[in-house]
Amino acid sequence: MTTRTATLKGGGTIRYVEVDDPPAGGMKKTFFTPDKKQVVQFFHDAAAARDVNRLARLEAVVGRYNPTLDPTTGEYFRKLFCWPTGIVVAPTVGVVCPAYPQTYFFEAGPFSGKEKKGKWFSSPKLRGYLPASELGDWIKYFQICLKIARAIRRLHAAGLAHSDLSCNNVLIDPARGDAVVIDIDSLVVPGVFPPDVLGTPGYIAPEVLRTLHLPLNDRNRSHPCAATDQHALAVLIYEYLLYRHPLRGPKIHSATSAEEDEMLAMGEKALFVEHPAETSNRPTGLTAAYTDFGPHLADLFKRAFVDGLHAPNRRPAAVEWERGLMRSWDLLHPCAGARCPHKWFVVAGPGSRCPFCGTKPGRVPVLKLRRQVKPGQWMPDGELVVHGSVGVFPWHAFDNAQTGERAERKRLGYFGVQAGQWLLVNEHLDSLTTESGNRVPAGQAVALIEGKPFQFSTGPHGRLAEVAYY
Amino acid sequence: MAEFGGRRLPIYLVLDTSGSMAGEPIEAVRQGVKALLSDLRSDPQAIETAFLSVITFNSGAQQLNPLTELMQFQEPTFDASGTTALGEAITLLDQAIDKEVRKSSGTQKGDWKPLVFLMTDGEPTDSWQGPADKLKKKKVGNIIACAAGANAKTDPLKGLTEIVVKLDNLQPDTLKKFFKWVSDSIKTTSASVAQTAADAAVALPPPPQQIQIVP
Repeated sequence: MTTRTATLKGGGTIRYVEVDDPPAGGMKKTFFTPDKKQVVQFFHDAAAARDVNRLARLEAVVGRYNPTLDPTTGEYFRKLFCWPTGIVVAPTVGVVCPAYPQTYFFEAGPFSGKEKKGKWFSSPKLRGYLPASELGDWIKYFQICLKIARAIRRLHAAGLAHSDLSCNNVLIDPARGDAVVIDIDSLVVPGVFPPDVLGTPGYIAPEVLRTLHLPLNDRNRSHPCAATDQHALAVLIYEYLLYRHPLRGPKIHSATSAEEDEMLAMGEKALFVEHPAETSNRPTGLTAAYTDFGPHLADLFKRAFVDGLHAPNRRPAAVEWERGLMRSWDLLHPCAGARCPHKWFVVAGPGSRCPFCGTKPGRVPVLKLRRQVKPGQWMPDGELVVHGSVGVFPWHAFDNAQTGERAERKRLGYFGVQAGQWLLVNEHLDSLTTESGNRVPAGQAVALIEGKPFQFSTGPHGRLAEVAYY
Repeated sequence: MAEFGGRRLPIYLVLDTSGSMAGEPIEAVRQGVKALLSDLRSDPQAIETAFLSVITFNSGAQQLNPLTELMQFQEPTFDASGTTALGEAITLLDQAIDKEVRKSSGTQKGDWKPLVFLMTDGEPTDSWQGPADKLKKKKVGNIIACAAGANAKTDPLKGLTEIVVKLDNLQPDTLKKFFKWVSDSIKTTSASVAQTAADAAVALPPPPQQIQIVP
């Protein structure tokens, strides 16, 4: 162990601890700074490291396209990305990144000290080797999907693409519902030659594999871009919510070799395991289906894997996934099944039952939200499934409230049961008003009674809620 | 029928345990196998796909572990003695692959192409040309052959595979680095196996300086 000094682009130096056998991935080897708060990563291939395109890419990524530098939302995105903070020019080319937070390393058990790559949690086989305390409930995976979709939406909004989004490049902590996107250095940056990465098997878009045999500069060759990220994002979300791969089914595409079969199964002949019409790739004994998670996610999965699998421009954008997951989040309900492996499910309508264990919930109160488009005219605008640990937040009460990185996360009200009656208890709603026009001040409650709507606020953009019981 | 998660990456370690390996070298091989196992058992891709078998050879050849899932794999015990029956080892490897590796067919999802690491420190003492030729022609998988130490002959290995590497010596540190490289190669392969074209050679990580690729 020797402490060495690396030179940063633009002057300045950083010290790192050289070890004999540093952690190494496919592209880089990693050394820690003496305080272990940052890492210095050097590219294996010194010639490729001097590539002017790579340097141009890195400069853009660290500088003008860096979402973590934004004065208002930067802090939020520093939690979702492990974003490079500097470029190293000597002894060889590399990057400086923050070290992953401790929560992304296994603390105990057989894999102590290993990074919590998403793979550990989406593979049924690997889940079997993990301590139960690491696995987290289903709602945490929902939260993880939302965070990943939000991170990718932010990249795409800036015109960037990740290019290698996969279970290896997202670390997740299902116990806490956290996720961080890593390996940000091979982003596709506008105006700079795209990186020569294919992606990770299982997450590469079909059109990329289908055109792999063409020369790099052939105009028909598909390169990693936002549309291929959209495929990878949909695969990740499907895997985290259903613990299986959306394209790996029993269908045999080649009797010649496993390699050829896989190439076709992920590329030219890719077929959704749950395709509604073409069932030849459907594994036997599927438990939950993509249609079990409410209308928003059913539509998004259909667009990603039925309509858009071979038509990149029909795939849902990351922002649509983010919105769909947000809306579906409001439909989550705890499962009463004592043996339910996942503890949560989506209440998609009357008669919904948990797709993981079959348990039917009792009477579930549901708020059908409406927004005012013209005086007196209220349009449906989402639903909120009520249970004991759900709260009313600004984005429920007002149709113009910010979500995501700009959201104000102040709870305005909560729900509870008194003498068998569900209530909304007001905490911070200024003008919570019943149908008959009575104001309900903070500290008091409105009863959730079928056929008795109420307004969260009579002010501008305040939503109306109709009460239903499923 | 193999479904999701069912496609395996078979790994065969074929190790020379002849008398010339006695002492420090055989102990280093034992430590190497132990380290390899521990390294692979903490890699999610490897746990998911890799299956391991160990074949040793001296005056004869023995399959100490049939192809076994990584987490179920029992560390083998072996000692160094006897001669170098490379031909027998190759024949046994050929039979094991035939028996254990699932072939792709119209009704079955086959395993990935096996990855074989064969290490020997001396000159074969039996007839090896026939078995080597037969296995090479069958193109059953990616075979990486390693001539370890000053006395190892690379020619027989060239008869078996295109990928031959040479270790300068049998020092514990060199063998340790070799097994680390084998482990890295398995990890790389289990992560990228799906994008390897059917007829392409496997892409291995660059070997450390103690290991030279024999052209």
